[in-house]
Amino acid sequence: MAQTRRDFLKKTAALSAASYVGVHLPFDGTALAGTEEGITWHPGTCRLCGSGCRLELGVKKGEPVGLRGIPGARTNFGYLCMKGMLFWKCMRHPDRLTTPLYREKKTDPFRKISWDQALDIAAARFADAVRQHGNDSVAYYGSGQALTEETYLFQKIMRGGLQTNNVEGNPRLCMASAVGGYLTSFGADEPIGGYADMEKATCFFIIGSNTAEAHPVLFRRIMRRKLDNPEVKVINADPRLSQTSRIADKHLQFRPGTDLALLNGMANVIMEEKLYDQNFLSTYATFRQGKEKKEVSLDDYRKFVAGYTPEKVAGICGGNITADDIRQVARWFATATGTVSLWTMGINQRKRGVWANNLIHNLHILTGQLLKEGADSLSLTGQPNACGGVREGGGLCHILPGHRLVKKEKLRNQVEDAWGIPRGRIPPKPGYHTMAMFSAVNDGRIKAIWINCTSPAQSLPNCDHYNKGLAREDVFIVCTDIFPTRTTEYANLVLPTAFHFEKTGVYGCTERRSQLTRKAIDPPGDARPEVWIVREWAARLADRMKDPVISQCIKPFSGLDASYDLPRAIWTEYTQKVTKGRDNDLRGATYEVLARMADGVQWPALDEKYALTGGTTKKFVKGKDPLATIHSQNDLPYQFYGPAHPDRKLWVWLRPQADPEEMPDAGYPFYLSTGRIIDHWHTMSMTGRVPELLRANPYAYVEINPRDARRLGISPGDMVEVRSRRGVNLLPAKVYEGPVEGMVFVYWHDQEESRMINKVTKDAFDPGSKEPEFKICAATVRRVSGPRPLKPFLVRG
Amino acid sequence: MPIAGVVITTRPDDLEATLQALAGFKALEVHASDAEGNIVAVLDTGSLDAMEGLVREINGVRTILSVGLTYLNAEDEIERPGSGERLFGLRSHQEQ
Ligand code: SF4
Repeated sequence: MAQTRRDFLKKTAALSAASYVGVHLPFDGTALAGTEEGITWHPGTCRLCGSGCRLELGVKKGEPVGLRGIPGARTNFGYLCMKGMLFWKCMRHPDRLTTPLYREKKTDPFRKISWDQALDIAAARFADAVRQHGNDSVAYYGSGQALTEETYLFQKIMRGGLQTNNVEGNPRLCMASAVGGYLTSFGADEPIGGYADMEKATCFFIIGSNTAEAHPVLFRRIMRRKLDNPEVKVINADPRLSQTSRIADKHLQFRPGTDLALLNGMANVIMEEKLYDQNFLSTYATFRQGKEKKEVSLDDYRKFVAGYTPEKVAGICGGNITADDIRQVARWFATATGTVSLWTMGINQRKRGVWANNLIHNLHILTGQLLKEGADSLSLTGQPNACGGVREGGGLCHILPGHRLVKKEKLRNQVEDAWGIPRGRIPPKPGYHTMAMFSAVNDGRIKAIWINCTSPAQSLPNCDHYNKGLAREDVFIVCTDIFPTRTTEYANLVLPTAFHFEKTGVYGCTERRSQLTRKAIDPPGDARPEVWIVREWAARLADRMKDPVISQCIKPFSGLDASYDLPRAIWTEYTQKVTKGRDNDLRGATYEVLARMADGVQWPALDEKYALTGGTTKKFVKGKDPLATIHSQNDLPYQFYGPAHPDRKLWVWLRPQADPEEMPDAGYPFYLSTGRIIDHWHTMSMTGRVPELLRANPYAYVEINPRDARRLGISPGDMVEVRSRRGVNLLPAKVYEGPVEGMVFVYWHDQEESRMINKVTKDAFDPGSKEPEFKICAATVRRVSGPRPLKPFLVRG
Repeated sequence: MPIAGVVITTRPDDLEATLQALAGFKALEVHASDAEGNIVAVLDTGSLDAMEGLVREINGVRTILSVGLTYLNAEDEIERPGSGERLFGLRSHQEQ
């Protein structure tokens, strides 16, 4: 590259950065015109977390050459993290799956086959399973990374075509407790507000989330808010000190599993010190208790939280927490002009994850820290389309698209009518939830399973137990993915898919926001978009099973071009017919509108004109949410029309402290917790293939508190055995003032057998949300040797 | 030879110390800063690997709170002739 061009490019880079902070540079962009000659920029959404950052992929001669943020996007204002900046390197990676692979027996090597053969085999095996073992012997297990169009079409074929509700997805492992929390506290799933509240908040309560590493661009917004307004309070509650704690005014380091007590302790202070909003409570809230959701009084609630005095709670929580700390943070929370709470898996992945969610919502309802600008109870999503695709698009066993419960006949009929299939076609019984689904694989009740864009062989808790089922020769497994994974090792049929920007579709992020990414480059080899794969598979199923209803399911999509027209038709059916009249009404968010928006549309958005404003920033608020006006029953400004609360009120729950399923004891004296590191994501099948990210963190390690390390004679880098009742890992030690004493923490990305921490974690799950308690189990920790050279590992084809 | 635009953020009180610390990074050019603690900089490294390492090092400076990336141009990386393996300088770790 000529020096002059290089200088120009550097100026382009500088101008880009300067424009974000409004800094003037002594040169402008006009002289730089032509610098990027030959590069076309294609807008889309980042692939690598639930923040939903908007960016543009630079393409030159059909190849990706760069990335830049979109400054006008209200999700990220143009900022990206390093992981997001590099995800495009997966696109041309030599490990990409590029042709269908098949083997009759799982012990055989794969052989390459044609798409025709692959689709015939998939159709034959699913049809045979249904014929011989019944409709519920087949299953689909999807992903919060699949596009909405993909999840929607898969579940349509499974429910309407194959007549089973065995439709699940990995968001069960991360978001299900948040769904349960929103439904039971607010009467409707998904947050009331969104990211825009961050710039108005004067208090942040971050619990069970290492936002700085898991959602770095959102963390930047919080940090900027704090720096610009030093009086803004940041409370971080977590058993582990993390990068997030850097900006905290107060870090509450509690013992794992005592979070419910802590939250009730804060409520105690709010009640005792009369920091609650009496007017808000009497107008908009009721108090509930128990399975039967019995309504109780404010006094009953007061008595309930009276048992959680700050002194008592400080004793339960242990760590560094004092009674005065609890008083202090409760006051900050209640008296701020706006408080935003943020959490992720630390709260959701608990045996009582729904309760933990309820108790956060309680604090907001009690203090009226909701519905106004700068206040929200905001569960952060881990995956880019867990909300849009799986929660809204019908990707879980008990819900149909448009937030409809499977068990309600009227709602099933609405979907059947929209699809033009006979009423009664969708079975009334919900399918297997994730842990039940893989138990059914284990004992052979499921005979054919389609696993799309996820790797349960590594991501299920207690994975060795479930991998026995995946290894069964009488369970036929199809995997659609871009790279080989621990799960493709168990597959009979591996189908190569197009990656992000190699196909078209919508992602819906944390804040009810749907965003379009259009195809910008061709996929490698013979990789295909999932929507094409499902349509072609369904056509063969219809033939084999001589079932015109299956044909009807794909009829609207027949013959359409898979790179744009097909996903557009699927999105159109979903939004115009299926979300119509639902709380996630997306009729205004057509492809045409989404293509015009820098950052997509927040639902509800009933028509295009409204959608072009960006949609609804605050649910339930008249004047801001069109449905609040439509469903209004009185003069009050807030209207809680959510389907789950017939009294149209917010519910404050009486939920006691509940210990984790497995507590440390003499045999297994440590708490084990797991989580993310900034460079890697999930099972590392993508980030592990970006050399820059892999080299930064080539393998997992175990974080140990220095006092525990001293006691156990462990030095940094020593090899340490982490063992539970289920399995064992051998990991290098990082001795670090991060985890609270008595707790160890392990990153969960590593694919290497001896460092796959889900062999060790526990598969207990929340009885309401069915989400497993990944975050806590009991383990032993033992030094095995000094440092050993380790190699990073990825599954190859 | 990738080029990136970044906004580095520090507490306003730490701005001077941070600018001094950044002066020590050869592959980083500071273009501007403001009273809010924003520093506009360009990273120009020999490879994306070096870029990642540099971002990591910058993140490690005690007074720096975040490094926000806004722009990346890596077209040189694909202009190198070669097979798919060498396109981006990618090779799977097991061959490294
Ligand atoms: S914060 Fe998440 S969505 Fe944003 S750039 Fe990083 S990985 Fe991508």
